[in-house]
Amino acid sequence: MIRTFLIPLLAIAGMLFGIVVVIRSSQPKPPSAPVVQPPVSPFTVRVAGSGIIEASSENIAIGTPIGGTVDKVDVRVGDRVKPGDVLFTLDSRDLRAQLAVREAELAAAQESLKRLQSMPRPEEIPPAEARVEAAKATLEDLQNQVAIMERVQDPRARSEEEMSRRRFAVLVAKGRLDEAAAALSLLKAGAWGPEIQIAKAQVVAAEANVKQVQTEIDRRIIRAPIAGRVLQVKVRPGEFASAGALATPLILLGAVEPLHVRVDVDENDAWRVKAGAKAHGYLRGNRDIQTPLQFVRFEPYVVPKKSLTGDSSERVDTRVLQVLFSFDPKDLPVFVGQQMDVYIEAPADSDKPSVHSTRGEASPATESPK
Amino acid sequence: MSTAAPAHSMNPAASARGLAVRCRNVVKNYGTGQSVVRALRGIDLDVYEGELLMLVGPSGCGKTTLISVIAGVLDRDEGECSVFGRDYAQMTSAQRTRFRGETIGFVFQSYNLIPTLTIAENVSVPLLLNGLNRHEALRRANDMLAKVGLGERVKDTPLRLSGGQQQRVAIARALVHEPRLIVCDEPTSALDHETGHRVVELLKSVAMSGNRSLVIVTHDNRIFDFADRIAHMDDGQVDKIVGSAKELYGPNMQPGSPA
Amino acid sequence: MYWLALKMLFNDKAKFFGIVMGVTLASLVITQQGSIFVGILGRTFGVITDMNYPDIWVMDPKVQFIDDTKPLTDTKLYEVRGVPGVASAMPLYKGMIRARMENGLFQNCNLYGVDDSTLMGGPGEMIVGKLADLRMADSVIVDLEGATDKLAKPNPVKGGPKIPLKIGDTLELNDHRAVVVGICKGSRTFQSQPNVFTTYSRAVTFAPRERKLLSFVLVKAEPGENLDELTRRITERTGLAAYTANQFKMLTVNYFLKYTGIPINFGIAVSLGFLVGTLITGFMFYSFTLDNLKFLGTLKAMGTGDSMLMRMILLQAMAVGVIGFGMGVGIATLFGVSMRETQLAFWLTWQLLVVSGGAVVIICMLAAMLSVRKVVALEPAMVFKG
Repeated sequence: MIRTFLIPLLAIAGMLFGIVVVIRSSQPKPPSAPVVQPPVSPFTVRVAGSGIIEASSENIAIGTPIGGTVDKVDVRVGDRVKPGDVLFTLDSRDLRAQLAVREAELAAAQESLKRLQSMPRPEEIPPAEARVEAAKATLEDLQNQVAIMERVQDPRARSEEEMSRRRFAVLVAKGRLDEAAAALSLLKAGAWGPEIQIAKAQVVAAEANVKQVQTEIDRRIIRAPIAGRVLQVKVRPGEFASAGALATPLILLGAVEPLHVRVDVDENDAWRVKAGAKAHGYLRGNRDIQTPLQFVRFEPYVVPKKSLTGDSSERVDTRVLQVLFSFDPKDLPVFVGQQMDVYIEAPADSDKPSVHSTRGEASPATESPK
Repeated sequence: MSTAAPAHSMNPAASARGLAVRCRNVVKNYGTGQSVVRALRGIDLDVYEGELLMLVGPSGCGKTTLISVIAGVLDRDEGECSVFGRDYAQMTSAQRTRFRGETIGFVFQSYNLIPTLTIAENVSVPLLLNGLNRHEALRRANDMLAKVGLGERVKDTPLRLSGGQQQRVAIARALVHEPRLIVCDEPTSALDHETGHRVVELLKSVAMSGNRSLVIVTHDNRIFDFADRIAHMDDGQVDKIVGSAKELYGPNMQPGSPA
Repeated sequence: MYWLALKMLFNDKAKFFGIVMGVTLASLVITQQGSIFVGILGRTFGVITDMNYPDIWVMDPKVQFIDDTKPLTDTKLYEVRGVPGVASAMPLYKGMIRARMENGLFQNCNLYGVDDSTLMGGPGEMIVGKLADLRMADSVIVDLEGATDKLAKPNPVKGGPKIPLKIGDTLELNDHRAVVVGICKGSRTFQSQPNVFTTYSRAVTFAPRERKLLSFVLVKAEPGENLDELTRRITERTGLAAYTANQFKMLTVNYFLKYTGIPINFGIAVSLGFLVGTLITGFMFYSFTLDNLKFLGTLKAMGTGDSMLMRMILLQAMAVGVIGFGMGVGIATLFGVSMRETQLAFWLTWQLLVVSGGAVVIICMLAAMLSVRKVVALEPAMVFKG
């Protein structure tokens, strides 16, 4: 009996084996489930785009007017700053040395002006007056002698020669007195006006020099132009900061309340986005971090899109309309520069099948929306 | 000729009973046209209920053809052949098949036992054909085998038995569904004298109960003694029907001599 | 009677084995060759099978099969996202990249870049490491085949076995450094190239420079969305081709069926199996019937109708069919399972069992028909001819 049914039993076993293998092999593989769930649009009719979070002031790349070595950085990343707050300082030792020179020159000019202004010296007047008095006395003495001589009528006693010598002596003495008196009055008159003017001008020039150097020094102190947040600091003491537009800004500054999202909308979809459209943004990597977005404006110029590959030379593949939305970053752990998946509500009638060419990139540039 | 059978009857008891087989003017030809072989040329033969009739005659006399017609496995060309009052000509092929299965038991010259089945299974075939379930059929087959003396060997296959035993199995198979007519085709020709004798003895003792009829085709004159009547055939016709072998061949006939 | 018919069959051991052998051979050849055929075809879309998260694959309309990538512009991703009914859409980069081996040889790899944030489309079955580790710098995940063979490190001992990659090993992909952070399970690809997974943005930096890099957009439909409807909508709105995963598989398979000789080769093998099986089975079964003709005639004489005999023969044919089919499937499966660790493609599907079963039914019917004709024509009178 068992022998008779051995073959059929074997056959049934074989068939069951086959069926088991079939069932086992037809079982679906475990799904390659996403590590995080992708965001789901809250709108039925919508336009999707990728957005980058940026400051509402747009991101301000702080530069320096003059190239130079960085001396001191006064802010750290994340600091909130007020307008005028010092961000960083460039090395200005050369200017400081120059400033000392300029200041010395200013002092010298000021002193020489002061000297001119304080003339005559009081100590010089008494000797001059004394000299006038002395000349006066000499004159009077000589005049006395002449008068005495004239009163002597004796010709023998009075020599004509003597007489004239004495008279000339009086004239000389008179002249001496005049000279002394004139010297005294000159002395008393003090410094000459135009000289003072020159000295004053020299002082002004010296002051201007000092100010110039001070301004130069001040230009090496970089200050915050607006109130905002330091988003990026790419400068450290000792580094050389070059003037001009840099690939990596020295310091990135932006107003972070509210934040903006710059959404790239493909030119083929751009016509479906209307001003003031509702939108919702989801942070990349966690769809639970999400926020409603308020329409701000269109960038009226459609720009070439860059693939955000992080590659050194990014690829241009199509043109995109950029739409700006704002949101309140409060309670949201988001940072400027993060990517967001954004869904923009589109008018229901824009859902009609559009007349695309088969290959999207061949279609003409999209009109700028109003 | 139509009244020949009763007239030749040497068994008054049998004539009182009903007819098992009634053949009238049965004609059977094989082939057509020039090569036609006229196997039966107008047979009139009756077999009574409870009778053992032997059909004898030389080779090619039409014995086998006649028994085939009687057993309902061969259509006659002309005449009438009815078994227990039912004419084969009036039945559809399916009806005829069922009729055979219910009414007729067969014993063959070469036993025709299925070698791949046990003898019990072989014996159970007619019962299964009559709609019995396997279990009941096997039980009755075992009983019948016990009756023919093979109760110990029900699980054996036919080829492990001797010829006589095999023929006993065949007899059991022919009887197990209690048919009213049993046809036997040369049941002893493959057996030695002693065995053949015992087989016919058994056949007669087991089968001849009630009013069952037996038709045995044979040319083995050693078993003629078992017959109630003997119908002798020659050249497609029954030429005489006698009560015993002595009448057929005369009193000097010896058992074992050729027919 | 049916029971007897079966016993007649089973007890005739030589014939029974012969017939069963014939059917077994046919069903073995059909099942085994079919499985290899399906296995090879299955490899063509193994990636789609492995990546069974997305409902819909969006691609350039001219794409003919999975490896035929025609990249799109990156913004197409957002156009697809804008289609109503799309729950999410993620980019997939698929391309070829050359890995430089330590011994200086180059190995071509399939590079897959999955969405950076969700990592949707990443390998489903990790053997070592976590999918999320792809977020680490320069990280890649390599499939097991690649890690143990094609990308494995050569053994410093000459002739020694290769040293499989492990976590932390580095690869050089197109002159970029890549760090292995995980080993995943994956279907072998048609070209048997190792699969390397990384993020989309990293993949495009690894990849040779091209203007467009977005190979596919993987779409997950909103719950309850009719996928066929959605594919039509995506195509209407974006002008891109959108296929459900199954449609994409069929697209790929049809491409390979149309443009490679694979189906012809296997078709010939399967036809031969069918033919030989039919001949052996038919001949043996007919011979079995002829052997039993005497007994069938006996049964017929004893009152077995033609329809019963026919059913008995059919039952016998079905029995050998079922048994032979079971044996053939069993042997084929055993073969496939024992070859599981080798390069052989073997994929037994229920459709194959149906086809193979159908072939067996046809074989048995053909064999039985011959016998039935013989038996129906049988004259029961023959039993009386000594």
